[in-house]
Amino acid sequence: MERFPIAAPTETAKPVKTVKEIPANDFYLTTSCILGALNPGTETLITKLYDLLGLHWGITAANPASQCTCCTGITSHGDMMAFESTLLVVARLWSVAAELGFENITTACVTSFCIHTECLEMYHEEPDLMQKVDRWLYEACGRTLHIPKHVVHASDIIYRYRDTLAESFLKHRLVDFRTGRPLRIVDHVGCHYNKVFPEKAVGGADYCDVLTGMIRSWGGQTVDYPERRHCCGMGFRQCMIRPNRGYTMACVLKKLASMEPYQPDAILTNCPGCNVFLDKEQWAIQELTSKEYGIPTLSYTELAGLLLGWDPYDVVGIQAHTVPVEPLLDKIGIPYDSDRAWLTDTPKEEVSVS
Amino acid sequence: MATHEYLEQGHEELKHVSDTELCSTYAALRDECQPTEAGTYHPNLQKLCGSAFEREKDRREVRRLVEQDPPPEMQAWYDEARRQPCVWWLDHHLVARHALKSCLSCGVCTAQCPAAQYYEEYNPRTIVDVALSRDEQRLIELLRSDVLWYCGQCGSCKTKCPRENNVMGLVSSLRFLSQLKGYHLASVRGRQQYAARHLWGANFWNRAFSLYFRNADASSHPDFGPRYARYWAEIEEQMRRVGATPDVSGDLGGKKVQPETLAELRRCVQWGGTLVLWQQIEEHAQASAVRSGLTIDEYYDKVRSEG
Repeated sequence: MERFPIAAPTETAKPVKTVKEIPANDFYLTTSCILGALNPGTETLITKLYDLLGLHWGITAANPASQCTCCTGITSHGDMMAFESTLLVVARLWSVAAELGFENITTACVTSFCIHTECLEMYHEEPDLMQKVDRWLYEACGRTLHIPKHVVHASDIIYRYRDTLAESFLKHRLVDFRTGRPLRIVDHVGCHYNKVFPEKAVGGADYCDVLTGMIRSWGGQTVDYPERRHCCGMGFRQCMIRPNRGYTMACVLKKLASMEPYQPDAILTNCPGCNVFLDKEQWAIQELTSKEYGIPTLSYTELAGLLLGWDPYDVVGIQAHTVPVEPLLDKIGIPYDSDRAWLTDTPKEEVSVS
Repeated sequence: MATHEYLEQGHEELKHVSDTELCSTYAALRDECQPTEAGTYHPNLQKLCGSAFEREKDRREVRRLVEQDPPPEMQAWYDEARRQPCVWWLDHHLVARHALKSCLSCGVCTAQCPAAQYYEEYNPRTIVDVALSRDEQRLIELLRSDVLWYCGQCGSCKTKCPRENNVMGLVSSLRFLSQLKGYHLASVRGRQQYAARHLWGANFWNRAFSLYFRNADASSHPDFGPRYARYWAEIEEQMRRVGATPDVSGDLGGKKVQPETLAELRRCVQWGGTLVLWQQIEEHAQASAVRSGLTIDEYYDKVRSEG
C-alpha cells in the first residue's frame, strides 16, 4: 500500500513574497572547489548561461596575483581555518572583484555564499572589525577592503531570469512529451543557501523557492515531500574522511525514502555537494539495501542546459552522474547518442562498498 | 638527490635536507609545466598531492613562518589563547562570542539536527549547556570527546533557534580550541584532524582550493560505484570536454593557480592566525606518533583510516 497518493502529491507553496533583492547585472563569479572537481559541467554552464543572458560578469584577471581562489569553505567547516583567515581570504576576493570593476559577487557554491554572507554579518555585528581586516589585508597583500553591494548565489541569478529563459530560449519543457504530463521534480536546496541565513534566501528556509520557481517556470510539477528540508549529509569531514561516510549515506537514504512515494522524475539541486551525494550514494545504498531508487539528480544549470538543447555530453556533462540521466532525456524528448558518453572503451571496474 | 626523486621520499629520508632546499624543490616541481593543446599543463601536481614529501614541506614551511618575529597580530593572539583556560576562549574568541546569546533549553536544535538523528549520543542542546555552564572540567571533557566531531555543519540548528543562537558556529569554535590544546587526540574522530590538515589544509595551502579533483579518485570513493570508476578513468579528458581546466593554468575546475595568487592567499591565511593551529596539530601529532611507536608517516596513514 502506498503511503501517499501518487496522483495528487502536495505541491510546494508559492512564496508570499520574494524576500531577496537580486541584482540584474555586474557580477564577479567565485568558483567552487567541489563543482570544479566533481561536477565540472555545472560550473562551466554558469558561465555559458550568464553569456546567453547577455550579463556583464567576470572572473579572469590580467594581474597574475589576482586570480580567484577558494573561499575557505571546506577548510573552514572542516575546522582547519581561523575565522580571521577566512575574513581575509574573502576580503581578498572582494578586492579582486573591485579591481576588475564588479560591485556584486555571485558564488558558484552555496557554502561560499554562506561564508561571504557570514563575513558581511560579522562586520555588522562587530563594530571595529572592518578597520582591523582592512589593515591586516593591506599588511598581508597590499590590498584594501571593498564591501560588495550584493552577495548572491548563481542560482539566484538563474531564478531571476527563469521566465526569460522559458520564454526566449528553452527548446524543451519539463513535460513528458509523449503524454503531456508535467514532470514531477523534487527540489533539494543546499543547507548553506537557506538555513544559516534564511532571510538571504529566496522564500526563506521552510518554503524556499529558488529551485521550485525554476521548476514551475519550466513546466514541471513541484513536490513538498516530508524530508524536503533534511540535509544531504555531505558534512565536510563526514564525506571526505572515509570512515565517517556512513553519516552521508544515511542522510541520503532518508531523503530518497521520503521522496520515493511521489515517484519523482528527477531531483533538482543548487549545491555542489548535494548534487554529488544525492546522485552518487544511490549506488552504495543499492548495494547495501538491495533497493534501487534510480532517481536522476541534476543541478539547476545542468537542467537549464538540457532544456536549452545543449549537448548532454559535450556541454552539460551528464556522464559525470552515477544515476544515468538518459531516462529523463527520453521523457522530455531530448535527443542523444549514448555511444558518445565515453571517450574510450575502458571496461567497467569491479567496485564494492567497504 | 635528483629533483624528481623527492616525490618518493618520506619524513625519515628527508630529515637531512635543509628547509630552503625542500621548499624550493617543491616549488620547482609544482611549477614545472609543458605546453599542450589544452593550455599550460603542470604534470607534477598529481604526484605532489597527498605525498609524504608535501607533508614534510608543509610542516617545515609552517614552522618557519610561525617562528617569524614579530608575528602578525592574530598569530600572536591565537598563540596566547591556547595557553588560556577554556572559559576564557568562550569570552574572547570572535566566533564563540557571537554564537550564543541565551538558551531556553527548548531542544529545537536537537529535534531537527541530522547528526542527532544518526548518532544516538549526539545532542547539540547538551553542547550549548556545557558552554553556558562555564565549567572548565565539563568543557575539557567535551573537547576530548568524539561527540564534538559529529556535527555535519549544515546549520539546521541555527534556522529555528528562538534565541538566534549559532550552535554550528559554537561547535566549530570548540573544535578549533580542542585542536589548539591537543584535546582532540583523546578521540578517534579528533585524531582524524591530522589527516584533515594534510588533505583539505594542504589543498588550500598548496593549490588554493579546499578540494583538488584528484582527491575524489575512484579508489577513494568505492561508494560512488562502477559508473563513476569509468568516468574517473577518463577524468582529464571528460573535464576538458565540458570546458574545465584540470592541472592547467585557467579559471575553472581543476585549475593550477599562479604562484603570485598563492603567495597572497598564504599571507591571508597567516595574518588570520591559522598557522598557530596547524603548528599545534603538527606538534601534537608528532608527540602522539612517538608515544605509539610510529613514524609520522605511519601515524598519518593510521588516523585517516580509523573511525
